[in-house]
Amino acid sequence: MTWWQALIDAGAVPGRGGKADEPEGLERADLVEGAELQAHPIPPRANARVPAVVSFLNGIERWSVVAYDGVVQIVNAYIAAAVRRRDAQGVLRTTFERSRRFVVAPVERMTPALRQILEQSVTDIEPIDGELVGQPARYLEKVESTVRRARAHLERELAEACTAGLGAEEWLLIDGLLSRSPTVARHPRALGVIKSHGAQFLEGRGLERALTLPAGNRTSVFAVRGGHTRTEVYSWYLRLWPWEGNDLLYGLLRIEGRAHPDTVARASELSGWLWAERAPLATPATRWNRLLYPLQQVEEYLKALAPRDLQLQRASRLPRTGT
Amino acid sequence: MIAPPAPPVTPIGRVVATELKPSTPHQFHFWTATDTSIGIGAIVKVEGLGAGGSGLGRVVYGVVTEGFAYSDLATPLHDVVGAEGDPTRAEAPTARQEIRYWTVAVLRQTPEEPLQPVPLGQVFVADDADVAQALRMDAYLYSATPTAIPIGLYTSAGLEAPVYLDADFLVGPEAAHLNISGMSGLATKTSAVEFLLASIFAHFPAHKGRVAALCFNVKGPDLCFLDQPGDLSDEDRRRYERLAVPSTPFQRVRLYAPLKADGVNLNTLRTHPDLVGDVEPLTWGLQEVVDYAEVLLNRDDIDAKADAFIDFLRDRVLGRAFDDGFGTTHRVQTFADLDRLFRSIFDGLEITAGGRSDTWRTHHIATMRKVRNRLLNISTRCKGLVTDDGPSSDLPWKGFEDRTVYVIDIANVDPLGQDLVFARVVSKLREQLERRELGVDAVVVFVDELNKYAPGDGPETYVKKMLLDISERGRYLGLVLFGAEQFRSQVHRRVVGNAGTQVFGRMDMDELATPGYQVLTPATKSKLATLPIGELMVRHPHFTQPIFVRFPKPPVLRGRDGVERFPPAADVPFDDAVVRQLVRLDRRIRPNQVKDLIADREQDDVRRALAAVRRTRPDDALAYFRKLLGARVAPDASVPREHHAVPPLNPISDEPY
Repeated sequence: MTWWQALIDAGAVPGRGGKADEPEGLERADLVEGAELQAHPIPPRANARVPAVVSFLNGIERWSVVAYDGVVQIVNAYIAAAVRRRDAQGVLRTTFERSRRFVVAPVERMTPALRQILEQSVTDIEPIDGELVGQPARYLEKVESTVRRARAHLERELAEACTAGLGAEEWLLIDGLLSRSPTVARHPRALGVIKSHGAQFLEGRGLERALTLPAGNRTSVFAVRGGHTRTEVYSWYLRLWPWEGNDLLYGLLRIEGRAHPDTVARASELSGWLWAERAPLATPATRWNRLLYPLQQVEEYLKALAPRDLQLQRASRLPRTGT
Repeated sequence: MIAPPAPPVTPIGRVVATELKPSTPHQFHFWTATDTSIGIGAIVKVEGLGAGGSGLGRVVYGVVTEGFAYSDLATPLHDVVGAEGDPTRAEAPTARQEIRYWTVAVLRQTPEEPLQPVPLGQVFVADDADVAQALRMDAYLYSATPTAIPIGLYTSAGLEAPVYLDADFLVGPEAAHLNISGMSGLATKTSAVEFLLASIFAHFPAHKGRVAALCFNVKGPDLCFLDQPGDLSDEDRRRYERLAVPSTPFQRVRLYAPLKADGVNLNTLRTHPDLVGDVEPLTWGLQEVVDYAEVLLNRDDIDAKADAFIDFLRDRVLGRAFDDGFGTTHRVQTFADLDRLFRSIFDGLEITAGGRSDTWRTHHIATMRKVRNRLLNISTRCKGLVTDDGPSSDLPWKGFEDRTVYVIDIANVDPLGQDLVFARVVSKLREQLERRELGVDAVVVFVDELNKYAPGDGPETYVKKMLLDISERGRYLGLVLFGAEQFRSQVHRRVVGNAGTQVFGRMDMDELATPGYQVLTPATKSKLATLPIGELMVRHPHFTQPIFVRFPKPPVLRGRDGVERFPPAADVPFDDAVVRQLVRLDRRIRPNQVKDLIADREQDDVRRALAAVRRTRPDDALAYFRKLLGARVAPDASVPREHHAVPPLNPISDEPY
């Protein structure tokens, strides 16, 4: 018997995990449902009320360093987002789609000749702080955040365009934060599904209840305060798959809806819908336990349309020796 | 014959090629929407640019031979997990991404050179003009002297296009013969042949001359009502119109049937009073039979001695005055004459030679007894077909008419008699076609049940040799074999292999598992095993891949419908049968006149007189009949009887076709 088996026999929960999501710091949240954060069972799958028509929004980003001007790394970037509407037959069809190809480069740090060539051949150049070029690792982090910000902007535009024309009974499900756009965040039929849990909204007993939430349960609803880049939304955690035997974040989603009492009233019903979205499994994605299949499909659709020169690189750059 | 090109249509798929499943010059793959009209057997066209414009100007036609559907499900276990192990929960809000992926065998590329892999272009459903291009029908459809014969309609993907065979490759001389196989009752083999004969008669090009068909009816009433209209649906009539084939029964049908043992009633199921008048009796005498003695003798019998004795009879005895060496002169023209000759010889050996000699003109008495028994036995076993003592009633040799179907009903004849009929008729056809004196330039011979007449194994019978001979050399003569069978794999491979056009109806899965079908994909085999009635798969020299076609119901009364509408009459008494036959020859004759005339007469005398009237066809049949009855009706020696030896057949070898 191993030592951890002894612990499990004594009452510990078996686990199997590794590196968690990157920490993003503590966020302020206020409970809006009950006096204490509780676990609430959601309706069984058979009783789930899945909206007849739902649109799903997701986006992708691709970038790679394609040239060096001295130590200045010039980046070729591509972002894309799409909305695909699911009809009554369960088939997804693209309704909105937008993409952008651009260059990320500190043009003021480039040699004049190369800068001229770049500016003549590319119209879309995203400027970046040139002070970091001497620190390649930090420079690339900056590039990544720049591309991600551009993608978030694109997704926000698309979400606003989509919500503007959303049907009376139609819902919009966004992969990521709902709170980036005030228009979208206040829409009565828009939800954000967050898979990464770097930001921490709870602490103490509430945090423990959220992280050990049994599958098929949700937490009480809490309010996520807004800021200059964010609109206040209501949020709750939902466990899709049992975490026991895996890790604390396994199958855990955080849902965002508009900050309105109706959201609290409907939290269980909406959770029942999302619980029904567990099937089909979003395999073979590694995060399938937190990824809803239709959102994965939007991502796969965008990947299929992505430029070939920005497809994900193979693990090895050595030539293959056979077919 | 082909409708004008349709306006541009939207693509229904795109060619895809991967390292594992690349496009080649002979095969490619494409995907379609999950809801598509494409299916196995559909003809498609690839057009448009491939990568980098590599496919510019190239058009590829192909036929779908295999189909696949799959989703993005990595493993079935994931579906189980998603449904929590409960099949009733398997319905998910989102349908998994699916693909319909098709494999296509290339039919044709334009330009044909250089032959290159199929470009990654757009895929379209083929229209009429595309089908003509894809199947290379344009060469014989649009030429100055078209030779196109419609065989059916290609119906797939909501389109309908006529499919034509090339008469030069169906009736000769480039290739010839047609073989059709399929399950009994479901493959509609007979119907297909009936339709195709109607199509040949309607479209056989004038520059190729005159054509007739000769069908052996070997099963029930199958081919007995080709001149009677069948019930056609509006859809069938529309298809006839589309194929430009008249939806009417055959205008000229001549039906022949042997007589029954009584010598007056016809041995056929077409004996209804309204129709029996159109049936000609088929009866042969010694002269017609002896040339085909080999058919009557099994292989063990044919030794050199028997063969030599039959040749002796044929060359020295039959039809001429012959002295038997014991003081009697014979003129052998009938089986009865032959029997008298044999008796005279045997008596002569016994009495004159005192039993000391057992040879006569170098022929041993045992050999002569064996030949006598075999020859005379045929007049017993095939009584009605072979007359013991009397003249023959035969097909109109040298007088075959254009666009006429000759049906010989041998369904109820002893197998030995069937062999005899087949061997003699085909030999005469070959002989007269060779001399260009048959009256037509080409004859389609339809033989059903090839499994029985030309099996792949079993003894080398005379009939099998005949079929092989037609298969291998008939196309030069205009002698075309349309053969049908249930199991193609069990028919002699040279008979099947020499058929330029192969047609398949619904097939048995066991048959499809035999090596002859290895070239077909599992999907094509599956389609063949479930083909609906009226649909066939066709292989033709111009088609590089098998094509599925639909043909309309034949415009004739089916056999079993015919016997329901025209129930066979019971055999009539001897005197009524004689009356019926004479009235058919001369409608002025009153039955009582005939009955009074034949009362108290020997039936054999009456039969002989009747046969003579049938053969002579005098203006006043009754007077002639009365005159003949007055004395013994001797065989008519004044009628010149041609005697052409049948050219020897090639020995059967094991060489592949």
